[in-house]
Amino acid sequence: MLAIFKREFLSYFRSPVGYVAIALFSFLSGFIFYSQFATGAVNIATEVISLRSFFVIIVPIITMGLLSEDKKRGTDVLYYTTPVSLFNVVVGKVLAAFALYAIMFINVVIHIIVTLACGGDFEVGCIGTIIVFFFMAFMFITIGLFASAITDSQIISAIVAFVIILVTQLISTIGSYAGAAVTSVLSAIKVESATAAGNGIASAIAWFDPFVKTQDFRLGIFSVSALIYLVSIGVLFLYLTFRVLEKKRWSQA
Amino acid sequence: MIEINNLVKRYGDKKAVKGISFTVNDDEVLGFLGPNGAGKTTTMNIITGYLSSTSGTVKVNGHDILEEPELAKKEIGYLPENPPLYTDMTVNEYLSFICDLKGVPKDKRKEQLENIKSMVKIDDVQDRLIGNLSKGYKQRVGIAQALVGNPSILILDEPTVGLDPNQIIEIRRLIKSLSKTHSIIISSHILSEIQEVADRVVIINRGKIAAVDTLSDLSKRLSGQSKLLLTFRGSAKDSAAKIRTIKGVSAAVPRVVDSKLSQLEITISTSDTTEVRTQIFYLMANEGWPILEMRSLDPTLEEVFLSITAGKGRA
Repeated sequence: MLAIFKREFLSYFRSPVGYVAIALFSFLSGFIFYSQFATGAVNIATEVISLRSFFVIIVPIITMGLLSEDKKRGTDVLYYTTPVSLFNVVVGKVLAAFALYAIMFINVVIHIIVTLACGGDFEVGCIGTIIVFFFMAFMFITIGLFASAITDSQIISAIVAFVIILVTQLISTIGSYAGAAVTSVLSAIKVESATAAGNGIASAIAWFDPFVKTQDFRLGIFSVSALIYLVSIGVLFLYLTFRVLEKKRWSQA
Repeated sequence: MIEINNLVKRYGDKKAVKGISFTVNDDEVLGFLGPNGAGKTTTMNIITGYLSSTSGTVKVNGHDILEEPELAKKEIGYLPENPPLYTDMTVNEYLSFICDLKGVPKDKRKEQLENIKSMVKIDDVQDRLIGNLSKGYKQRVGIAQALVGNPSILILDEPTVGLDPNQIIEIRRLIKSLSKTHSIIISSHILSEIQEVADRVVIINRGKIAAVDTLSDLSKRLSGQSKLLLTFRGSAKDSAAKIRTIKGVSAAVPRVVDSKLSQLEITISTSDTTEVRTQIFYLMANEGWPILEMRSLDPTLEEVFLSITAGKGRA
């Protein structure tokens, strides 16, 4: 596991990928922090929450090559023919991407130090948002890893990861559209309690929204069930990735 | 030692491997021969654990590849057709990564890597990026990768494809030196290449074993099919008939190369090339037909198959 982690993590810095991701994150976080700082209303929680909306770009960049490149180069043979287990391969790769995220996050740490040095606030809600940030990073990285496992093209893998992450970010909106559609269809055919059914569907879909689930962290309310939700989605995608790799043994044309 | 028992691999409704069984003994070089698409790579992939067989078993030094994969894989070093190289790493970085994967203990690592690097002669490129190496060096790094962890068995899938003649000779020499301490399975679709290095040959065709034989037996079997190509100047009418009268010649097919110079080419099938060649020389000398060229034609893989399957038909 350590071997895979080391190789993948260092390989971010053998190609432009690691630098691009870090530069992008530095720019975005720096810009957000600057615009708060300029108005004198610095809030680290707001900054971290804004940064979450850029998972959709940064995660596909850092996960697109994790497994697809191995397939293209033929180096995946090593994972199957050496005593290392596929489970360790998958976990090692997730950890590498996660470590890159942690390095990017140094930007925010610097912002926190600057804020504190200038007499700003750093309350428990900020810690909550940071915890959520890392749990979400883990979840989205496993989604990206899965997208990388199903293809040998980096581009396709990036697009698939982009779409899945975009959907999770818009899931509440999608839910309310679906609910409204159901309401209008049901009321057109004169079903009673059409609005209730529509609302039910909307809230059922919105239940899956990771952003809504974790919004209380900002207020300093820690919800273990929300974190379990994020972790279980992550574990689900880890498992799917593992199965995709296993499957290759059985069906290879 | 590898025991392969009734291996079957099915892709959808296409059977790539249809029941292959053979064993590889300790410190033996087994040539694995077959035309492209015969199932060589599939079989090797199954032996190394890269693919799973549909049915049948592979035992590596007594460990089943599916039931005790980690123990079995420790015994095997695999060089696939495309060496699994990370082009963005240097040779040293790459080899120590492979050490990590194969779990080579830290204290033995340095010595082992030095040995391997000097054995496959990559000392002078050890700090260069693999992506910048020539094909021959890449192949050697691939072999080095297979040697890491001291496996007792090496599986090399077409190790000389795409190399220039000098490199081919070097790689063959390397394989021969490795064969003293390793069991080796080496695949190829070139007969002469296998003849150079292997002790025993498994020939497969369309997913089935066509023959398992030692090299000397194989060449004995093939000697009945030896062919000579003779180029000379002489009469088109008489020559073929006269050559056919020589004892041991089973067929002679003439072809006019240049009618002005009355230059002819004759393909002669014979069972005993040495004796027949002297006879032909005296015949040509008597008739006053100058011999321009006489050489024996190496049997092609297709002819080997034909002879083997024909031999089976008779028996």
